[in-house]
Amino acid sequence: MATLVSAAAPQQEGEQRPGGEGRTSEAPRVLRVFRATPFTYATLIIVSAILSTPLVFVVSIALASDHTVAANSFTIFPSEFHWENFTRVFGTDLPMGRFLLNSLIISVGSVIGQMVSSGLVGYAFARLRAPGKNALFLIVIATMMIPAQITMIPQFILFKDLGWVNTYLPLIVPNFFSNAFNVFLVRQFVSRLPNQLDEAAMVDGLGFFGIYRRIMLPMLWPVLIAIGIFTLTYNWGDFMGPLIYLNDESKMPLALGVQYITTTGVAGQPPPWNLVMVGSILLTLPMIAVYYLGQRYLYEMDISGGSAGVK
Amino acid sequence: MAMSKLRRREALWFYLFVSPWVIGFLVFLLGPMISSIYLSLTDWDSFTPPKWVGLQNYVKLLTDDPVFWKALGNTFHYAAISVPLGLLVGLWLANLLNKQVRGRKVFRTLIYLPTLVPLVAAAMVFRVVLAPSGPFNDVLGLVGISGPQWLLDPSWVKYALILLSVWGAGSATVLLLAAMKGIPRELYEAAEVDGAGPVRQFWSITVPHLTPVIFFNLVMGLIAAFQVFSQVYILTPKASQPGTYNASQTMVPYLFDQAFSYYHMGYASAISWLLFAVILVFTLLAFRTTRRWVFYETEVK
Repeated sequence: MATLVSAAAPQQEGEQRPGGEGRTSEAPRVLRVFRATPFTYATLIIVSAILSTPLVFVVSIALASDHTVAANSFTIFPSEFHWENFTRVFGTDLPMGRFLLNSLIISVGSVIGQMVSSGLVGYAFARLRAPGKNALFLIVIATMMIPAQITMIPQFILFKDLGWVNTYLPLIVPNFFSNAFNVFLVRQFVSRLPNQLDEAAMVDGLGFFGIYRRIMLPMLWPVLIAIGIFTLTYNWGDFMGPLIYLNDESKMPLALGVQYITTTGVAGQPPPWNLVMVGSILLTLPMIAVYYLGQRYLYEMDISGGSAGVK
Repeated sequence: MAMSKLRRREALWFYLFVSPWVIGFLVFLLGPMISSIYLSLTDWDSFTPPKWVGLQNYVKLLTDDPVFWKALGNTFHYAAISVPLGLLVGLWLANLLNKQVRGRKVFRTLIYLPTLVPLVAAAMVFRVVLAPSGPFNDVLGLVGISGPQWLLDPSWVKYALILLSVWGAGSATVLLLAAMKGIPRELYEAAEVDGAGPVRQFWSITVPHLTPVIFFNLVMGLIAAFQVFSQVYILTPKASQPGTYNASQTMVPYLFDQAFSYYHMGYASAISWLLFAVILVFTLLAFRTTRRWVFYETEVK
């Protein structure tokens, strides 16, 4: 949840400039608190440099030769450029292509599951009337407090009995039953939509499912895409789930596969760090892309700052 | 209760629509929770039938398992430093970015970028960054400090994990920055007229306005920190290196090992309930103390 709130925040930029920029007529002066000193710049430059160093180092290692890896003589800035490392991981050296495909299958399956189920459930909680609805919604909220570790072992036993261990199913199927947080998001979103439209549709004789499919669904896209982004981010990076359920190298998603290749290999030899870092880059790039393509939708969700949730 | 035909149809559709959640709740949550309570009272290796042992697992955990206490202590240690530190760094950076800085977008992007790196990739990065002759120790060497073996020395592993978590301070930064933009400018104008300096204004205007956001993120951050897993699993020495293993253990990896390495399913279930208790106590405690230090604007209005 913390990541989600944070993901929504950055594009708040520019809404309200500090220091009164853009209010030239009445307050042309920059207040002292908002004045940037050389010290401000020095601090920001140093901190940005420190935080970026690990990323530069990753690129440097990803482009290093096997010889450099064996000698453990990496440089922070790239000094050699073995771009072929990026194609090698898809060749016979490593099943990185398979890892990527597995990540894609698990993530896309989970995203579809959450989008389909959370939309239906959230809409019902927002619009339809039924006895017991409020009590049920309280339970939905209460379940958010249960840490996943409580159900981890019984769920494992359940999936083992179903014969689903070492398949993608334990990682995908539960997503088709929605989750409390996503239901809550959709419900809040629908509550803010005007209900003249569905009332009119009702008068026209459209059934409840028809209203959902024809009227609601087209309006729900922003929240469903936001849910899709959260689900994708979570499942793409999930490590523990695949670690519990998948043993075959050919079934592993990238997040597990990257770690797996550091544990195999010849004893006494360092892991193929250059290829591991290529894997880490492949794991990271889609997340950056999804974030930049999707931030518009996260913004529309208006879950900024988290303060709204507390008040 | 007599309902019209339409109302009854509506209710029927409601139950149909929410059935995915209800089924999921019963099958993946409530059922497993009940089963977990039962399992925590048994000795079970997942192959032979469970053996009822009553509260023995809990008694053993609390009175006769030094590794559990060590893991609990480590988890507290990690959470108590990493979460406030991340928020402090975030607050500090947000305050700098809230000034009239040229190139703010670039700085913000560079600070935020690490938070987009998936945990596994971040852990891989830190495995090499914190290697004995890695860049971090090189930099420390420049200022005359001989860096420790971050990932092998049990007393330093926690700080390696904390460093990794602070690397992600960008998420707190953007969050607090967004909240800072919402603080009315008039307050700062008035303070300046009254002759308050930037530091005074930061503590008397900025910080009090941010307390709800800080509080929310403190609670969420602590809950997440108590459940830390992937980084610990990837970065800390494994059981194959006796001695160091327990020193850097935290709760969820300990639970994971008990369940999936040693097949102590009953014992692991008991750990999960104690973890839940810890999280619950901390959440309640945090909410009980909010009145004392969290400032809600609505209270004044």
